[in-house]
Amino acid sequence: MAAQLSFIGFVRKNLWRRRLRTLLTLCGIGMAIGAFVGLVGFSNAFEQSWLRLYTSSGTDIAIIQQTFLNTSLPESVITKVTALPTVAQATPMIYNVMDLTPEVNALVYGWKADSYEFESLQLLSGRPFHDGRPEVMLGELLSGSLHKKTGDTLEIQGSPFKVVAIYHGGSALETGAVIMPLDQLQQLSSLQGKVSTIHVRLRPAPAGEAPDEYLKRAQAQIEAALPGLRAVPAAERAGNNQFVRLAHASAWGTSSIALLIGILGIANTMAMSVFERTREIGILRALGWKRRQIMILIQLEASVLGLGGGFLGIAVGWGALQLLAAMPQTAGIVSATFPLPLVAEALGISILAGLIAGALPAWRGAQLSPVEALRHD
Amino acid sequence: MTNPTLEVRNLFKSYDEGQIEALRGVDLSIAAGEYVAITGPSGSGKSTLLHMLGGLDSPTTGEVLFRNVSLGSAIDLDTYRSRNVGFIFQAFHLMPTLRAIENVQVPMLGLKPCSFDRAARARDLLKEMGLENRMEQYPNQLSAGERQRVAIARALANNPDILLADEPTGNLDSVNSGKIMEILIGIQRKRGMTLIVVTHEDEIAHAAARQVRIRDGKVEV
Repeated sequence: MAAQLSFIGFVRKNLWRRRLRTLLTLCGIGMAIGAFVGLVGFSNAFEQSWLRLYTSSGTDIAIIQQTFLNTSLPESVITKVTALPTVAQATPMIYNVMDLTPEVNALVYGWKADSYEFESLQLLSGRPFHDGRPEVMLGELLSGSLHKKTGDTLEIQGSPFKVVAIYHGGSALETGAVIMPLDQLQQLSSLQGKVSTIHVRLRPAPAGEAPDEYLKRAQAQIEAALPGLRAVPAAERAGNNQFVRLAHASAWGTSSIALLIGILGIANTMAMSVFERTREIGILRALGWKRRQIMILIQLEASVLGLGGGFLGIAVGWGALQLLAAMPQTAGIVSATFPLPLVAEALGISILAGLIAGALPAWRGAQLSPVEALRHD
Repeated sequence: MTNPTLEVRNLFKSYDEGQIEALRGVDLSIAAGEYVAITGPSGSGKSTLLHMLGGLDSPTTGEVLFRNVSLGSAIDLDTYRSRNVGFIFQAFHLMPTLRAIENVQVPMLGLKPCSFDRAARARDLLKEMGLENRMEQYPNQLSAGERQRVAIARALANNPDILLADEPTGNLDSVNSGKIMEILIGIQRKRGMTLIVVTHEDEIAHAAARQVRIRDGKVEV
């Protein structure tokens, strides 16, 4: 049976004609999309870990400062919060990142000994700490990294702290963290009387009131009682705390640079291809092809390169995420499930990258005069 | 001539802001189904005239009329080239990545009918050219004569009214030249097409019903 030529078949043959260049371009855009999938996938997983942190403890609302990214508020407001009719429980806390050893840094939480947050932890050994004592509890992941067990001493900023427990938490942000008495962390951070946030558990919504409406009402009630502070729903706070925002920003920033390089790679390939095929474009024009068809041909070639690079990049990014999911340091943050929305986003971006990269070469190709193009060597 | 297919009126074409005058006031009428040879020395403007007749380029002044309608104003040049004109080049200009049968389908890609009809039509045209056993070959696997026959099949793909050939035998030996001209004249007679050939070769020119000799951008009387 004779071969039937289709537009897409023509595109494929044109790309296959210069295999090495096509392959190198695919690798370029593939690495860019791979970086996007890996980095953005990681930052999304990081956000999910924060969400798990809130949901596992049953926190409904986080009270933070209105403007600063690195929030700090007076601990004394806790009495006003607990007095509110919608609030069941409220617990103050500080969180920060500290260098525990030159190699290991970790999230450090300062909690009150009676904090409801302990309910989501499972003690693997030892006992909870007491307020006012230089004691710490280590997440199992961190205890492994530090080679510390219950009864050992951990030096933090030159002060010795006794490891009183090893625990398992619902999120990697807990299993890779240190928890110490709030007063101890306030002293270490020179934040006496201050806390990063207050987590709030609400009473159950009254019958007949929708949960969303109840949450909004509780928010408004808290904000009215605490001028200058914000009451943020836990799900929203998971996405906009400073760590997640930094993770998202660095992921998108790095990915954007990689994507820009990938786009330039495709643009270069397509520009060279148009230049080398100037005479062929002239022939196509002589055979009756319209400018629009020439543009579609070149744009399709660029899009196929983008899409091919997208699939390659998804495989690379997926491999990177699998690797992170298998590493003890990141296992609790990165899940091994396939992030389908991210894949769709990556494919969309890769096609868009191809279209952007192909736009100028396609326009130039379409503008060629048939006679001039036919004379081209 | 009562009903010309192509008519050229006072055609001028200059390049480099008027520094080079390729055509200087050409008037010409070509009837439907006529075989015309355009001859003349190198650089006389015969290829430029052929490009104007084929809608590949626009005149500086003057006009080219197809069935009494001015090209470029009343008829879009792309549409004219795709529906009414078939080009044959000296250097064949086949797509190196495509098989013979695929090359013939290239002009049909943007047009109806559907892809099955494209392949069927390409197969029929290649059979007509005596290439039924060479359809799956790439251009570099074909002889020069076979390549030009593929190019002729490609020029016929959209069933044009006019066939324009620029030195179609310029890259062929005498045996293949004879075959190609035999095919072209056969097609012109069988289909009643207008055939316009630019040539240096007297033998081809003499076979034409009419010779138009161009010198220094003008038709020699």
